[in-house]
Amino acid sequence: MKMYILGISCFYHDASACIVRNGKLIAAAQEERFTRKKHDSGFPANAIGYCLKEAGIGIDEINYVGFYEKPLLKFERVLYQHLEMFPRSFNTFVASIPSWFNEKLRVIRILKKKIKYKGDVLFVDHHMTHAAGSFLISPFNKAAVLSIDGVGEWTTTVYGMCEENDIHLMKEIKFPHSIGLLYSTITAYLGFSVNNSEYKVMGLSAYGDMNKDTNLYYKKLRKVIDIKDDGSYFLDMSYFVYHYKNRMPSEKLCKLLGGSISIRDSEMTKRHKDIAAALQLITEDVGMKILNYLYKETKCENLALSGGVALNSVFNGKILRNTPFKNIWIQPDPGDGGTSVGVAFYVYNVILNKKRNYVLEDAYLGPGYKTEEIKTFLDNNKIKYLQFKDNDDMLKETAKLIFHNNIVGWFQGRMEWGPRALGARSILSNPCNKKMKQILNVKVKHRERFRPFAPVVCGEDALKYFECDNPIPKPTDFMLMVYPIRKKYHRLIPAVTHADGSGRLQTIKESQNFLYYRLIKEFCKLSGIPILINTSFNIRGEPIVCRPEDAYRCMMGTEIDYLVIDRFLIKRSDNKKDIWDSEAYAND
Amino acid sequence: MNKIIRVFFINFKDGFKDFGHLMAFIVNYVLLFFVYIVGVGLTSIIAKSFKRVFLNIKKKRDAKSYWEDLNLKRKKMIEYYRQF
Repeated sequence: MKMYILGISCFYHDASACIVRNGKLIAAAQEERFTRKKHDSGFPANAIGYCLKEAGIGIDEINYVGFYEKPLLKFERVLYQHLEMFPRSFNTFVASIPSWFNEKLRVIRILKKKIKYKGDVLFVDHHMTHAAGSFLISPFNKAAVLSIDGVGEWTTTVYGMCEENDIHLMKEIKFPHSIGLLYSTITAYLGFSVNNSEYKVMGLSAYGDMNKDTNLYYKKLRKVIDIKDDGSYFLDMSYFVYHYKNRMPSEKLCKLLGGSISIRDSEMTKRHKDIAAALQLITEDVGMKILNYLYKETKCENLALSGGVALNSVFNGKILRNTPFKNIWIQPDPGDGGTSVGVAFYVYNVILNKKRNYVLEDAYLGPGYKTEEIKTFLDNNKIKYLQFKDNDDMLKETAKLIFHNNIVGWFQGRMEWGPRALGARSILSNPCNKKMKQILNVKVKHRERFRPFAPVVCGEDALKYFECDNPIPKPTDFMLMVYPIRKKYHRLIPAVTHADGSGRLQTIKESQNFLYYRLIKEFCKLSGIPILINTSFNIRGEPIVCRPEDAYRCMMGTEIDYLVIDRFLIKRSDNKKDIWDSEAYAND
Repeated sequence: MNKIIRVFFINFKDGFKDFGHLMAFIVNYVLLFFVYIVGVGLTSIIAKSFKRVFLNIKKKRDAKSYWEDLNLKRKKMIEYYRQF
């Protein structure tokens, strides 16, 4: 008898769904990939539809649906905010309350209405689903767990201990004190979008002064947060207004940092860069102190990290060098999107007490398309293409295109789970060309100039080029760790070497993605370097592509030179009838 | 002629939709205004007069740690059916 658990996360940001069959993860995807709305928070009907299709079942065969939080507890926190901040919270009250009564408190009814599900629905605490989403699919039998994000119901930071099927969350820090919301506040202050652009601030920090003694803003920001030796912290809320307004920094914070909130897309000055660096330093201060304290409390060498802050790959890359932990695990989507996986495994392994029998090896859990389906799409749309003879032919030709500085869209197999492109829906190019960052930006990505591009390297070559922890931690496979690039290679791979000499690398093993791995090896035969630039396959402001039509539209709207989709090669300049300008519509 | 009628009805429908949204907004706004003043406001004033604190905003001077006990473990199955 097969048991199916459907995990759902929605109504905040990054809605997602996953399906677990007899304790194994069959499929997982974010709703944004289907609706093409970045960070879509709506009910994930499309993602659920995909999960059911992948499992080959109907909704009636689902045994349990797991929901990623306790909605009434969260609503209590929202009401308490208004009660505490009356009458200053009026505008947010009017703006937010309708959505609570229309959807957030009606989960069971929405499940019935939208997907005709009438079975059991189980609600699990938000940070428990974060912890479960990390630990229960990790290779560890026993691990200390830390989850840090903006806010769940009440909790913003929590730590605990996990063993076999049990998760015990021991201590917490509650809203409004949140390192995640501090990060978002400064993100907003620097003119970037909240819950979207925090990683840009992380990238910007490398250009700032990372010395605590000389960074003026570090001292200023330390006034905002009181950090104890055990890593617990308390924010001075006079510097924030997020607990009662639709914006985040207060006038007092603006004064402290010497200027008003930056206008979107404004030029980043030294001041902005130093503020970003100061924020990164404080985040690392808090994180390292908590982790050292957590080790003292648990005496366990394995760490399962989760929550949105676990996407801070600069911090992640420093953990094993600055704490007693020996092993680290982070799932490909440690943010709220990943809680659908957390709740599904929590239901199966903890609530139903079924033995753990699954370790996540790769992130290819999204939709894939058959060769015939892709060919039909190409033929129906009269797209000119070439068909490769076999995989060898495809890999050799693609490697040549990349070596000759073409930008190649790479669409192969099942889509990645999580926010990073990991070689299924990626744009690939030559890291040895020092102009490639500029070329990619001008032709395709149109990113802020300070943002780096990421390298992908074959697992066995990573230690040669990067100063990684040894053995290389598993989260590196999911592009979640930043490490310094060895100095002697800075000049050889300039397009992926960040301002501070680091790289947010992805390591790839042959067993995870054979074609991707072999492509890098083919490129190495031509260049002598087993590394490629890997960036997400999307139009600026849109989610990563999901379907063949999304990939083709993206190529034709940007200036990607070639699209290698399954066994087919499409050249942009051969299909001039479909060329359009995505930048005219881009909104990031 | 048919085209003109069709366009008219499309515009008419869109106009009514916008009008509906506007009315919903006004009704929501008015209703929520009363709920906010009477429900939230009165509760807040009364509770605060009894020194009830809803958000932990004021710092304790002698605090040695800001960690709070949570002790969240596996619960009975029935607890997970609850939304609180």
